[in-house]
Amino acid sequence: MLGKVFEKDFLGYLAASLAVAFVTVVLKSFGSHVNATTVALSLLLTVLFVATKWGSRTALTASVLAMLCFNFFFLPPFGTFTISAPDNWIALAAFLIVAVTAGQLSARARKRAEEAERGRRKIEQLYVELREAFERASHAEALRQSEKLKSALLDAVTHDLRTPLTSIKASITTLLDEVRGRVDGEERPILDEDSRLEMLEVIDEETDRLNRFIGGLIELARIEAGEMHLRRNWGAADEIISTALTRAEQSTKNHEVTVQIESELPVARVDERAVSEVLYTLIDNAAKYSPPATKIVIKAERGEGATIRMSVEDRGVGIPAELRDRVFDKFFRATRDGDVRASHPSGTGLGLAIARGIVEAHDGHIWIESGPDGRGTRVIFTLPIGDEEAVEPQREVATG
Amino acid sequence: MNDKQRILVVDDEPQLTRVLRTGLSSRGYEVRVAGDGLAGLDTFGDWQPHLVITDLAMPNMDGLELCRRLRAISQVPIIVLSAKGEEKTKVEALDLGADDFVTKPFGIDELLARVRAALRRLTKPASPTQSSFHEGDFGVDLESRLVKVRGSEVHLTPKEFDLLIYFLKHSGKVLTHRNLLAAIWGGNYVEQYQYLRVFVGNLRKKLETGEPPKSYIVTEPWVGYRFLPGG
Repeated sequence: MLGKVFEKDFLGYLAASLAVAFVTVVLKSFGSHVNATTVALSLLLTVLFVATKWGSRTALTASVLAMLCFNFFFLPPFGTFTISAPDNWIALAAFLIVAVTAGQLSARARKRAEEAERGRRKIEQLYVELREAFERASHAEALRQSEKLKSALLDAVTHDLRTPLTSIKASITTLLDEVRGRVDGEERPILDEDSRLEMLEVIDEETDRLNRFIGGLIELARIEAGEMHLRRNWGAADEIISTALTRAEQSTKNHEVTVQIESELPVARVDERAVSEVLYTLIDNAAKYSPPATKIVIKAERGEGATIRMSVEDRGVGIPAELRDRVFDKFFRATRDGDVRASHPSGTGLGLAIARGIVEAHDGHIWIESGPDGRGTRVIFTLPIGDEEAVEPQREVATG
Repeated sequence: MNDKQRILVVDDEPQLTRVLRTGLSSRGYEVRVAGDGLAGLDTFGDWQPHLVITDLAMPNMDGLELCRRLRAISQVPIIVLSAKGEEKTKVEALDLGADDFVTKPFGIDELLARVRAALRRLTKPASPTQSSFHEGDFGVDLESRLVKVRGSEVHLTPKEFDLLIYFLKHSGKVLTHRNLLAAIWGGNYVEQYQYLRVFVGNLRKKLETGEPPKSYIVTEPWVGYRFLPGG
């Protein structure tokens, strides 16, 4: 370390001496054509150059050397260190003072610049380190969040699988118990025909529910993986609505369903099967979460821009504003997770998530508002009308 | 007057309440169902059941809150239906005063056995008032602090004796760690699970010695212990 500093210093002194010598030789070669002022300024420049390059001590050496050269070669009598004219003494002294001062000032400026540069580098380095640390931390946080999400999803899935399984297991063991009792000749209470039928009905309904849930999971996984293949066609709102209503016939039989379609509503380039699935989910939800004999209104009209706007509205308990986004999250159920009262059991928690997936795959939007007079629920979705070219090439290839 | 024992089932899954209503009714119980804690509490007030079976996750009022409210007004036995993954809530429910739990999915036999045990405890005086009593394989003299297991005398330290008496008074019921620690060591010790582990270990060594050896203290993983005086 010390050796390196010495070596650097030595090189500086050498360079300073050489620079002064070089300038002296050049000036001398002009002979009497250069006057003392030119010489003084040139040597001063050399000192400044040395100062900015090698620092204050080297600049001081250069100043002294320059003063000596100035005196020896350019102030009469030439070739001696004596000076004949007294005003030259003043010039020499002035030269020395200016050279030393300018040298020191420029060396200090250089030092400051160096310090500033070092500071800048340090800040830059700190910034990089900070950014890296932040990236590491946010990566870890993202991982943690994703793990948390995974385990929450797993909890939701296991709950949804286990609930019907519990009813199935309880039904089967009730039936089994009776049969075993009869086989063993024990006197066990005999279930009447109605009870036995009820147990079997529960098993039947719950296996269907499991199957629906698994179907929903698969569909959602497909949408999330971006593997939803839309089969777009020119679809008319009335056909889509009537398909959905036929499917929802059973669940809406106790409701008063009204359909309002704007006259001359244009057809839209959509996947009719998928859109009617969305509509079915909304109608089914409306029927589930509103009292019997109340109204369900299905509307189709022109939306803003080139869109079709469809809505399903009920006179049920409604969804509080703070839950209106969350109900589109998979496995979220307002009746279970959001303290919304309902006499009907909660569904799979997948319907609205799938509906949103389908609407967004069409580049549409889906959202929830309060029904008329602030009561009930209105779910609205918009779909671009589209044109022949509206089919994304990627999806075309995928279906191809 | 109807002498059937009354059971209130509280669950938001109508399918399960249908099954439980049928399964329990066929065994001679009178059953009513409620769809959430709030409705359960209403029915409880109107009907005064002998036993309550409740789910934990429910809308409006969950099973935990129901346990808390019921315990504030009644000593009715409560059986909690819980699922794997709900261990924390289950322990909380037991701490709040639930008597037992059944893990979903369960067979009707398992539930019926828990129902019978809980109702048996109800018909038995909650704490023996006489100075000596018998319970399963155990004979206890409270005055002389003498314990006999299957006829042979067992020497217990004062704390072990207290723990055993507490177990005997709540035999068949699931007792959480916190529950036991609060009862024997006091409220400041409810986190000192290791005390309990040591004392339960000692009790087991002293009690479960006969031929053939019986296990009286059953470990309920992550929850606590259940004492079976008949082994």
